[in-house]
Amino acid sequence: MSLWVDKYRPTSLGKLDYHKEQGNQLKNLVQCGDFPHLLVYGPSGAGKKTRIMCLLRELYGPGVEKLRIEHQSITAPSKKKIEINTIASNYHLEVNASDAGNSDRVVIQELIKTVAQSQQIQSSTQREFKVVLLTEVDRLTKDAQHALRRTMEKYMSTCRLILCCNSTSKVIGPIRSRCLAIRVPLPSMEEVCGVLTSVCRKEGLLLPGELAKQIGEKSGRNLRKALLMCEACRVQQYPFSADQDIPETDWEVYLKETANAIVSQQSPQRLLEVRARLYELLTHCIPPEIIIKGLVPPSPDQGLVSELLGNCDGHLKTEVAQMAAHYEHRLQLGNKAIYHLEAFVAKFMAVYKKFMEDGLDGMMF
Amino acid sequence: MQAFLKGTSGQSTKAQKDKAAGTSGEKKPKPVPWVEKYRPKCVDEVAFQDEVVAVLKKSLQGADLPNLLFYGPPGTGKTSTILAAARELYGPELYRQRVLELNASDERGIQVVREKVKTFAQLTVAGKRTDGKPCPPFKIIILDEADSMTSAAQAALRRTMEKESRTTRFCLICNYVSRIIEPLTSRCSKFRFKPLDDKIQGERLLNICEKENLKYSKEAISALVKVSEGDLRKAITFLQSAARLNGENEITESAVIEIAGVVPTKMIDNLLQICYKSTFDKLEIAVKTMVDEGYAATQIIGQLHDAIIEESLNDHQKSAITEKLAEVDKCLADGADEYLQMISLCSVIMQQASQGN
Amino acid sequence: MSKLSTGRKASSNKLSSWVEPSFGDLFSGSGLNSFDLKKGVSLGETKSKAQKTSTDPSSQRPSKRRPFPPTPEPLVSSGSEQSQDEPWVDRHSPCSQVELAVHKKKIEEVENWLKLHLNVKSEIKRGAILLLTGPSGCGKTATVQVLAQELGCRVQEWSNPTTVSEFRKEDVRETFDPDSRFNGFHGVSQTAAFQEFLLRANKYSHLQMMGEGETSGRKVVLVEDLPNQFYRQPASLHDILRRFVRTGRCPLVFVVSDCLSGSGSSRLLFPRDLQEELGVCNISFNPVAPTSMIKVLSRIVTQEAARSGSRVTAPDRAALDLLCTGSSGDIRSAINSLQFSCLTGCSPETTPWPVKKGKAAASAARGVSKARSKSKASKGSESLDSTQAIGGKDASLFLFRALGKILYCKRESCTGPEGPSLPAHLSEHQRDTLLVDPELVVEKSHMSGELFNLYLHQNYLDFFSDLEDVARASEYLSDSDFLTAEWSSRSTMLEYGSSVATRGLIHSNSARARADNQASVGFRPLHKPHWLLVNKKYRENCQAAQCLFTSYCLTPLSLQTELLPYLAQLTNPMRNQAQIAFIQDVGRLPLRKYPGRLKLEALTDRDPGTLDGDSEEEGAEPAVPAPTGPGPGETGGDQGADLPASQPQPTMAQALLEDEELVIDEYDSN
Repeated sequence: MSLWVDKYRPTSLGKLDYHKEQGNQLKNLVQCGDFPHLLVYGPSGAGKKTRIMCLLRELYGPGVEKLRIEHQSITAPSKKKIEINTIASNYHLEVNASDAGNSDRVVIQELIKTVAQSQQIQSSTQREFKVVLLTEVDRLTKDAQHALRRTMEKYMSTCRLILCCNSTSKVIGPIRSRCLAIRVPLPSMEEVCGVLTSVCRKEGLLLPGELAKQIGEKSGRNLRKALLMCEACRVQQYPFSADQDIPETDWEVYLKETANAIVSQQSPQRLLEVRARLYELLTHCIPPEIIIKGLVPPSPDQGLVSELLGNCDGHLKTEVAQMAAHYEHRLQLGNKAIYHLEAFVAKFMAVYKKFMEDGLDGMMF
Repeated sequence: MQAFLKGTSGQSTKAQKDKAAGTSGEKKPKPVPWVEKYRPKCVDEVAFQDEVVAVLKKSLQGADLPNLLFYGPPGTGKTSTILAAARELYGPELYRQRVLELNASDERGIQVVREKVKTFAQLTVAGKRTDGKPCPPFKIIILDEADSMTSAAQAALRRTMEKESRTTRFCLICNYVSRIIEPLTSRCSKFRFKPLDDKIQGERLLNICEKENLKYSKEAISALVKVSEGDLRKAITFLQSAARLNGENEITESAVIEIAGVVPTKMIDNLLQICYKSTFDKLEIAVKTMVDEGYAATQIIGQLHDAIIEESLNDHQKSAITEKLAEVDKCLADGADEYLQMISLCSVIMQQASQGN
Repeated sequence: MSKLSTGRKASSNKLSSWVEPSFGDLFSGSGLNSFDLKKGVSLGETKSKAQKTSTDPSSQRPSKRRPFPPTPEPLVSSGSEQSQDEPWVDRHSPCSQVELAVHKKKIEEVENWLKLHLNVKSEIKRGAILLLTGPSGCGKTATVQVLAQELGCRVQEWSNPTTVSEFRKEDVRETFDPDSRFNGFHGVSQTAAFQEFLLRANKYSHLQMMGEGETSGRKVVLVEDLPNQFYRQPASLHDILRRFVRTGRCPLVFVVSDCLSGSGSSRLLFPRDLQEELGVCNISFNPVAPTSMIKVLSRIVTQEAARSGSRVTAPDRAALDLLCTGSSGDIRSAINSLQFSCLTGCSPETTPWPVKKGKAAASAARGVSKARSKSKASKGSESLDSTQAIGGKDASLFLFRALGKILYCKRESCTGPEGPSLPAHLSEHQRDTLLVDPELVVEKSHMSGELFNLYLHQNYLDFFSDLEDVARASEYLSDSDFLTAEWSSRSTMLEYGSSVATRGLIHSNSARARADNQASVGFRPLHKPHWLLVNKKYRENCQAAQCLFTSYCLTPLSLQTELLPYLAQLTNPMRNQAQIAFIQDVGRLPLRKYPGRLKLEALTDRDPGTLDGDSEEEGAEPAVPAPTGPGPGETGGDQGADLPASQPQPTMAQALLEDEELVIDEYDSN
């Protein structure tokens, strides 16, 4: 039994649940025969990958669904061996080159070269190009992106690239201008609810409308998360009740507790405890930028008032937002995330304490 | 046929590859990218850049050609102009022998400049074409995207340029003239390529639409002109993408905006209104929505910048906001989180707006 | 005594005397020819062969030392007269339990173990393994030797074979581990030789004993330096050990110095599960206590003075104390230092060893023995305080103190009102004159600025009371990291980074701005930084997640923040064992409990390995915040509150500093 997310993933452009018009456009694109490089971007959980797979199926037929995981080892000019996982069918190759860290340039060049030079196995296919799907292009180094730009031109005749990323901000201009950019926005709340309901129906379950809505809100319209949540709800309790608790991930709860700890007391000792909790989160694979973002909640419509911003008034929030942006930026550049996380927490504590004291004074007089 | 302009050359290489693929592909003729298809074929077809055209025309009539330095924003016709001129000068046969084109995609270290450019420059050429027509007794070396050459390579070029001035003309093409070292600029006649006029762009786009039998709305064309900001190549690329995606349907304004990745003006205005009038909580929601819609933060801040300049804020407010814009842009380039940066930017706008009143 | 020392001297040539290889090497540097000759005899020579030669009748060994013949033949047999450069460590190596500078209980533990497993009648057919760990120079090997001697059994020792005798010379001089430059092509053969040694030592134990008469069948195998191959492939060692345990008859003793081979070699070579599987008994030694060290030193001094008369000037009690402090529990280094300090004959100055003349003495010593000065240089102690000129371990003296200096930031009260003072609006930044130079402190700590910052970061919070100060201090730490962010300029910025961090911390502690209100903090224990472990774990886990869940085709981000945590809550049967274990470990967080603090590791904590190893498990459960083991808190209580402020008292210093050095080694080698 696979996860609902995978089980009910649409497999053709026509069966997409939302952004139907975009689906049609992609169909046109395939039919017009002149297939450009694509740059698919949008937030996590919006369905980029699903659309790409549908597109590939449209291009090559069901053969693309026979996937195999391959471990490739590539030798860099410096004789360094790079191991990387790829997922491939007969027609396409998917790779996350940013896994290779600083050697991503070599990976890109070598892999694309290999793909472009190898002949199509089946001559019956109507396409004379293969597709290389690069995920997380926005995490590639600048060096790799420039290399990509050359490679794109060089192997245009035998190979098309589909680039997938969360935001085009970190993709260099020359690449953007060489690709047809396709934006995949998050599904609307109604669309999320619709998908949840239909998935539940296919599972033979009855999902109350309110619960669907709540899941949609809690997931922040991230469909993958919503489906996972929904499945977790199913494990937790069935039949569903409209007001049941939606299970949150441990780390989110933990982060909330951390935020509470920060707000409830401001002292060096508490900071020490918070530090330990931050370490705890890190060892559980929660990236530091997610932690800092989680402390400042992404949207109040999630109903999380407990996180830091929720406890502040407008002016203070402005200040906190500035701080968060400031330290998150540093965190991206710096080497040791904990310095910046802790500096952020310490600063927040100081600011918040002052704010509370001023507030108290204000009340007394 | 109308002429079209083409800027920096990255696209051209791709186009050539495409062509190559097209000829080799036997099943059906490969569609050529429109930027390539509608590239100007002669100097006369280059529009809007009158000074350059005048100089080139003179040299076509037999006058000597100085070393050239073309600069200006992308998509204004720099490369197209020199390519068209070269084609006219030499005709199709001699073109390959007489013109060396190097762009940033090629290796262009100091070594290349020394060897390749030198070897090519040292070839002597006759003043006659094979078909008997006269042609100038020099070769042309086109260095596209010259501003991305290292200054060492540029310095090496200086000497070569002087030594081979008898037989070779250089044409340097770049976006930013300030990134070309002084000794080089002083050896060239500089021509600035202006961003294309909206009207001219519109005309060319309409022309292509007719040639390609596209259905389009008037608004779509004006939107294209607007989003491409004087970059004709961008406009044509967008037009072709829109045509691909929409098949037989009419190309609409929203389709164009979507392809360009531009945030609808309504959203930007809405965001600004929230910054001016509303609370921080609403602002958070608005920013979150924009990020969820998948719009790139760099795009948003670019458009915010344009909007802010037009807003009725005082200079102090504007300067504070634009400073923050610059900071955010830098942070984004460093890989900072988009949502946090946007929030911090908007909260600054909010702060400034409230102070002004 | 002199006779006995002759005998002991003989053994000193061998790497296996109770000196660590380091010093054995150095010695062989001076007595090189004979050594070379011997080594050149055979390729791939193993210790067991050496032993055969060593028991030949030409031995000059007094019969009373009969039961203690593990070490080979005297090589410089002419050296029966005492030469200046014979290390005292060898001459005065202990020959009875009483002389051992090791704690009684530890000796007892080892003795019991040996007795148990040497007992032929006890029918324990398994080969038993004892693992002795501890800092270098705490008497691990000596204990085994002495006990074996007293129990009347032979010590059969493995030493890494070297094949090319010509290289021996440079080799010995340049590296402590004779193998390091050969391991490329000798690794395999060494491994084979080692295996053969172990298993044969087993099989033929009786045969070999034939000549030994009374000791027949009683033998201990001692392994001190392992073929380098094993450090790269611990599994191969584990296999050999498993075989040994199955077939072995005699006890096997491994001696592993904690710091010698960098990052937790004992953990790497003898992981806990293996220890349990094979029933390995692990006894961990502590650094030599100062009292017993003083005892040993005084004994040596008396003996030497009696023997050589005026040539040796006996240092006074204070000097001995000083040596004690400087050696931080390493008795070998202490004795070496003692020997230097007593060498007046060859020093140009005739002044007896005074505190101030440390450097002169050191340079004199350099004249005497190149090899020795090399040893000093290699310990990286170029910036010696004059008082510690002779202590071998002084380089590490500074980490604990350095941290203390920064964190306690001693200030001197303003010389007077005439000094320039800040204008009113800046008055909050007014500070009294600092007594320390932060840059110098960092330099002397012999750590990279970044690592030092980590230590500071781990510990600074305890020294701050005001939140504003904390915010400012953490900002400085963040600044410091930010400064070194740019890869291309990092090497230049590192120093600025550490400057910013240290000075920033000092400055922002406004509670300690004045000289007169500084005493309030009192003693605070210092801890090792968690970050390295946490970061390592983070990366490992992320990688593991990628590997285990490739089939889900997700980006790392959504994998780690969405899929894994939810998988932990679902009952999805399509997972293999590794995935289930991983999800349980990583997807779950301890909720609604007291904040799960990582176990704090005090800098005194004995086991250096725990830093990078299994404290993840401990981290995952809400651990008790109090450090286990003898933390500095307890020790500090005895010593008085003013302890760490300036000069740590000997006990403290040893306990803490020895440990710190281990840490430095670990991370330097990373």
